[in-house]
Amino acid sequence: MSTAVAASSSRPGLDLRSLAVRIGFLPALLIAVVAGMSAIDPQFYGTINILNILRNASFLAIVACGQALVIVAGGFDLSVGAVVALASVVMAKTMAATAHALPGQTTPIIVCGVAAGLGSGLAVGLVNGLCVAKLKVSGFVVTLGTMSATAGVGLMITSGIPVYGMPDVFVKGFGRAQLFGLPTAVYIALAVILVMVFVQRRTLFGRYVYAIGGNVEAAIVSGVSIQRHVVGTYAVSGLLAALTGILLTAQVGSGQASFGGDRMMLQSIAAAVIGGVSLRGGIGRIEIVSVSALFLTILGNALNLLHIDSRLQPVFLGIIMVAAVALDELSRRRRTQRV
Amino acid sequence: MSDAGLVVVRRDRVGGLLLQALLPIALVVMVLGFAVVDASVLSPANLLNIAQQTSYLALFAMAQTVVILTRGFDLALGPTVSMVSVGTALAMATTTATGHGTATVLLAGFGAGFGLGIACGAFNGVVIALLGVSPFVATLGSYNVAIGIATTLSAGRPVQGVPKLFSQLFYGGSVLGVPAAIAITVVIGAALHLMLGRTVFGRSLYIIGTNPRAATVAGLPVRRILVATYVLSSTLSALGAIMMTARTGSGEPNLGGALSLQAIAAAVVGGTSLAGGRGGVGTAVLGALFITILSNGMNLTRIDGYVQMVVLGAIVILGVLLDQARLERH
Amino acid sequence: MEGSTDSTPVEPLLALRGISKRFTGVQALAKVDLDVRAGELHVLFGENGAGKSTLINVVAGTYWPDEGTFRFGGEDIHHLPPQRARAIGISPVFQEFSLVPSLTVEENLFLGREAASGGILRVGEMRKRARALIDELGFDLDPGSRVDDLSRAHQQMAEIAKALLGRVRLLILDEPTASLTERETGRLFELIERLKRQNVGLIYVSHRMREIRALADRVSVLRDGRLIKTLDAAACTDGDLVELMTGRKIDLLYPVITHKPDRIAVDVENLTLVDGSVREVNFYAQSGEITGIAGLVGCGKSELIRAIYGLEPIAAGLIRIDGVPYEHPAPRQSLKHGIAYFPANRVAEGLALSRPVRENASMTALDLDSFAQFGVLRPGAERAAIALIMDQLKLKPPNIERIAGALSGGNRQKVMLGRALTRELTVFLFDEPSVGIDVGAKLEVYQFMKRLVEADAAVIVVSSELPEVLALSNRLYVMHHGRIATELKGEARTEQNVLASFFKEHLTAEVA
Repeated sequence: MSTAVAASSSRPGLDLRSLAVRIGFLPALLIAVVAGMSAIDPQFYGTINILNILRNASFLAIVACGQALVIVAGGFDLSVGAVVALASVVMAKTMAATAHALPGQTTPIIVCGVAAGLGSGLAVGLVNGLCVAKLKVSGFVVTLGTMSATAGVGLMITSGIPVYGMPDVFVKGFGRAQLFGLPTAVYIALAVILVMVFVQRRTLFGRYVYAIGGNVEAAIVSGVSIQRHVVGTYAVSGLLAALTGILLTAQVGSGQASFGGDRMMLQSIAAAVIGGVSLRGGIGRIEIVSVSALFLTILGNALNLLHIDSRLQPVFLGIIMVAAVALDELSRRRRTQRV
Repeated sequence: MSDAGLVVVRRDRVGGLLLQALLPIALVVMVLGFAVVDASVLSPANLLNIAQQTSYLALFAMAQTVVILTRGFDLALGPTVSMVSVGTALAMATTTATGHGTATVLLAGFGAGFGLGIACGAFNGVVIALLGVSPFVATLGSYNVAIGIATTLSAGRPVQGVPKLFSQLFYGGSVLGVPAAIAITVVIGAALHLMLGRTVFGRSLYIIGTNPRAATVAGLPVRRILVATYVLSSTLSALGAIMMTARTGSGEPNLGGALSLQAIAAAVVGGTSLAGGRGGVGTAVLGALFITILSNGMNLTRIDGYVQMVVLGAIVILGVLLDQARLERH
Repeated sequence: MEGSTDSTPVEPLLALRGISKRFTGVQALAKVDLDVRAGELHVLFGENGAGKSTLINVVAGTYWPDEGTFRFGGEDIHHLPPQRARAIGISPVFQEFSLVPSLTVEENLFLGREAASGGILRVGEMRKRARALIDELGFDLDPGSRVDDLSRAHQQMAEIAKALLGRVRLLILDEPTASLTERETGRLFELIERLKRQNVGLIYVSHRMREIRALADRVSVLRDGRLIKTLDAAACTDGDLVELMTGRKIDLLYPVITHKPDRIAVDVENLTLVDGSVREVNFYAQSGEITGIAGLVGCGKSELIRAIYGLEPIAAGLIRIDGVPYEHPAPRQSLKHGIAYFPANRVAEGLALSRPVRENASMTALDLDSFAQFGVLRPGAERAAIALIMDQLKLKPPNIERIAGALSGGNRQKVMLGRALTRELTVFLFDEPSVGIDVGAKLEVYQFMKRLVEADAAVIVVSSELPEVLALSNRLYVMHHGRIATELKGEARTEQNVLASFFKEHLTAEVA
């Protein structure tokens, strides 16, 4: 409560400055990287590279949106990477199976496959949420367990071999297609981001997620049903991770249990954290997380173009993440000491 | 009222004991179960094998336990292991190549390995204790950094050129007939047990984990202790990494793999509480034993490796549920 | 009983009968009856720990009583979660705020009852209603600002506004003026009058006679978890109330302490804290006497002694211990300098509840050779020393291996006191020493202080419980809004004078 007790009446000037600090740091860094890279390497702003960046950023942003929602409510979702893989193989298997049963009928095949993929993600999300909310086990451990289990199921289904047999339309007409020069994944990511921003700002669910993460006691006293909304955050996170799995599969053309994985999970948390989502809960905005996902993707791309050993790249990610949180923590401390 | 209270207390105590004994009982049942399917589970060779495998995981679980006691955890444990393995092998290969004597080579190897481990622990500790970053983010950061260093130093390939003697000593060697890995883990485990139970530092870990604010008010040097804890944890990980490097005979950039989470799982299954302040060498060893026997038994009974992952995941959640039940009793 | 003689033909809004509530080791409420009528302001009066806060928490649905009946608006209530309480029109304003710090005032006002259709918020409508409400209340409060950017007074206003949003039939106010300025207090009083005219019932917890005089219709006096009496405010004097509250057992309860003020042990010069809770404070404490510091919640009295011990960052000023400047205080250094601090909140800051009594008592002494050498503990010596100390303090049950969490409030405080006996100390800082402990344990704490003072230690007692500081201290400082309002010595140490110093401060605030 010490944060709440200190700090006297706010001056608009101070607010503006802290606003600039909060939102300005990331776009500024983003612009610096983009400008620097454009000056150094013309390949960077080549169409192929830009499309590549946007596509990868879309995948990450969708997963990070769900992750951010869970963290805002005070939880964690380590299972997102495994869910990406599970949804991928479940969808591909289902499509292959329905194609066998109903040869040539692409619509039901696609619908069944996508529904199964999303359903598998939703199922994992619900398990996570119910364990956290009903059994009061920490999100970290629950999702640690479901991560292992989900990855195991994904591998079990496929024995680790890529699954083919999806309709051509789905891969060529959707996964690899472009609309007005942009990959479909970009439109879907934008739609997800817009919906999630709306959910955060304008729906009861979004408001309650903030309240639960910000002060769970106050939320209880105010009559907010905690369990339902906690389950909701994990369900959304599972669903969005599954969506990414489906998009990846559609692009690659086969279902693979090696999609996502630890890397996607760690990157989604990094994107959320660098995007200003507080691990204490209650604070974080989807639009900034999306920018942060874009930033991370561009950074990786820039390091590649600069021929920096891809093996050394995690070092940058690690340092930037710790620095972002340390800065945030220091500014928070200063805030509480302001008279 | 007092009579009823006594009965309740007694029943509580019996329940509590049952909960405490649940894991050892489960261990025995599990071993017997596997033995029914395949008698070779109980063969001396396999038992020794289990003990040896357990000794590595037990070390890592201990490393994880000391930080979990303070309400933290170390996600970077696995990458630290990889980094130390590569560093140790590289230092030994280089010194061998430049024609140094075996003593110098071994010293260089240990120096590099423990140096990297301690550096990683110091980074974690400083970021967590002094900058106030949550253990999750801090060790996720060093996770990435350590992976980067391990793969860069090794160029992504196993580092060869580790002297035979190193493997012979720390993998093939034995003390009074006990394989080196087991002997080292037993000695370290005993030392750590004494440290946790009998030193001011050990006592402080439990107090900080139970109530960090009370520890501060009582004048304990909380920040210094936290930094020391992370350094201790990474030093234990480095030791485990060096022992595993001796086993493989080369520096492996992927040696750590899923070890971070496996070690957390072992600690938690063994009864270390993520809420801090509860656990010790016993819980770490018990958890490591449980997980090793489980996977050993499943391997011998030819249960699919992927199914094993699912089982492990379920076990972790179950372990925490048990912990929850134990906590509620308090 | 009181209710039946007074009863009006209409049934009271709230009728509690025989309410009891027990927490581990403490009987917080014992068979309490309470009636609150519509349109009446009913004051709950009593010392800290008398059961007032438990009672309002029962009314607000935070705790469900162990026994007793609960009627509200003519209906029997058998189950009352907080949200149901609010839904039927019971609105509490607690001292611990029920606000989400990361949300705005407006978002907090509507938390749990947002205007929404199909799950989508009607933001414009809520903004309009929030503004209308705040304007109507006359608060100087921006609905768009985040709660953690607000001062305590503004948070208090937001809390009150939150309670008044929607249909309120019973409003509970727990020391609402503690952090308000005089002007804001005036606004609040006008508001209360208006609510009474609208037939809202009010439960009002306060220590301040003046407020009780100005507002109360009836007063219920609580002591040690029991209802002593319910009186008509117009028909009783201040003296009656104080007597009922303290129960004329002052002489019995407080030990006679011989103060022999000696050298100046603690000397504070122009102390200002970083968070502004203490400003330019000068005071001193002598060995051989108890120095009291009184003041209302949030006046900075706790922060003052916490700063001396090293728990609050200091912006400016000087602390001297035995005449030697003590720079950059920190708990570890303080203990080495012979200063001990006993926190008000023993659960949050004092004890490691799942650890044994022994470890909790020796926690501050682990740097001493008698407990550990070269970092290695001496279990035998530790056990013997702590057993002896806890025996002196009459720990019940006398088992030092029990976990601290299993002890009652009084015994927990004894474990804290035990720490003081593990090492050489000369300055003792007590923060609300008798909060949450029963009468018997209080007496033992006072006896403990008496022994300390008579052994020439300097004891500083910070307390919100006026009779306590008055009876214990040799000299008494009164703090108000972060500053020392007055220093009272000898005969001048009376409840009247302490209260007067609040009013004086209020008057100057009004002028300014």
